Amino acid sequence: MRIPGALYAARGRAPQSEKDVPFQEILPLRLKNTVSGKADSGSDVACLQEMGMLFACMKDNEFVEKYCHKEIQQFQNCFKCYMDRKFEAKKTVNQGVVQPGNNLNYKQLNKYMRRFPNPV
Amino acid sequence: MAVFYRIAIQSSIYGCRSMSMFPKHFGDPLRKKDMEDLNKSELTKFYHIPIKAALNNHSDTVFSDEIKLKMMNYITKNGNKALARGLLSRTFEIIKRAQTERLHLSPTDKQNVNTNAEKLLIEAVENSRPLLQLTSIKRGGVNYQVPVPITKKRSYFLAMKWLLDAAFEKDKKVCLPERLAWEILDAAHGQGRVIKKKDDVHKQCESNRAYAHYRWS
Repeated sequence: MRIPGALYAARGRAPQSEKDVPFQEILPLRLKNTVSGKADSGSDVACLQEMGMLFACMKDNEFVEKYCHKEIQQFQNCFKCYMDRKFEAKKTVNQGVVQPGNNLNYKQLNKYMRRFPNPV
Repeated sequence: MAVFYRIAIQSSIYGCRSMSMFPKHFGDPLRKKDMEDLNKSELTKFYHIPIKAALNNHSDTVFSDEIKLKMMNYITKNGNKALARGLLSRTFEIIKRAQTERLHLSPTDKQNVNTNAEKLLIEAVENSRPLLQLTSIKRGGVNYQVPVPITKKRSYFLAMKWLLDAAFEKDKKVCLPERLAWEILDAAHGQGRVIKKKDDVHKQCESNRAYAHYRWS
């Protein structure tokens, strides 16, 4: 006698034995105790507006610098401020002083997490 | 020989010998020119701290100049600084002669002719300093030439490098000081190859301004 296929479908396929496919922990199943500092470096784009103004002025005056004195000054001041700020930020990161707050950089976070590591 | 032997014994006793450098609490030596810029309260700070020995190329003469010293270092090849110094002073001599000749040829506008060779060098370097630079940045498999602002120090370096590159690119019959002198004179008057090169860089930056936001550290 022919058994209708619907009867098999109701039971479904028998599950695979777990012994045949043992679980492999390819990466450790817990979070690391450190964060990488990659995201903190941020993008390097600064003074785009000043640069645009400088280009506009230079193009109008056929690349003669003495007519664009104001724009050049603004551009260079902006870049200098940016570099100074970056330098100061780097210095504070390297000091590694941990202060309370939610806006921590990666070195401070690493210091915190070293104190409270994941249980092994 | 005995001295080396003693040092070797000492270093073996103490484990490691410290580098021969001044400790951190030593202050940098000040030149008279720098001292004039500081006010008295800032100077009193230096009364009671030890000061490092002055550098070999430091000098208190009115002729000492940062750009001149740098230029000499850039001319130097294989550490032969004495030769570089000679070449630079010969360059100044040629500039001085050329400018004096020009002064005598045109007695009407004597104020307009600058015969100070060192001032002319500084002027030339200042005139050929670029504001921006192109760097190649790879985005999506394509290399873009992106304009980026440069630091003051690098702009001075580029200006002097371009001056020297222009001077080195010459016939073998012409000596370096002669060529360099003409490049310096040209640049000081806002013309010549170096100024053209600077303008070319600026023009390229302007035409690539659309990529400026691709900048990435």
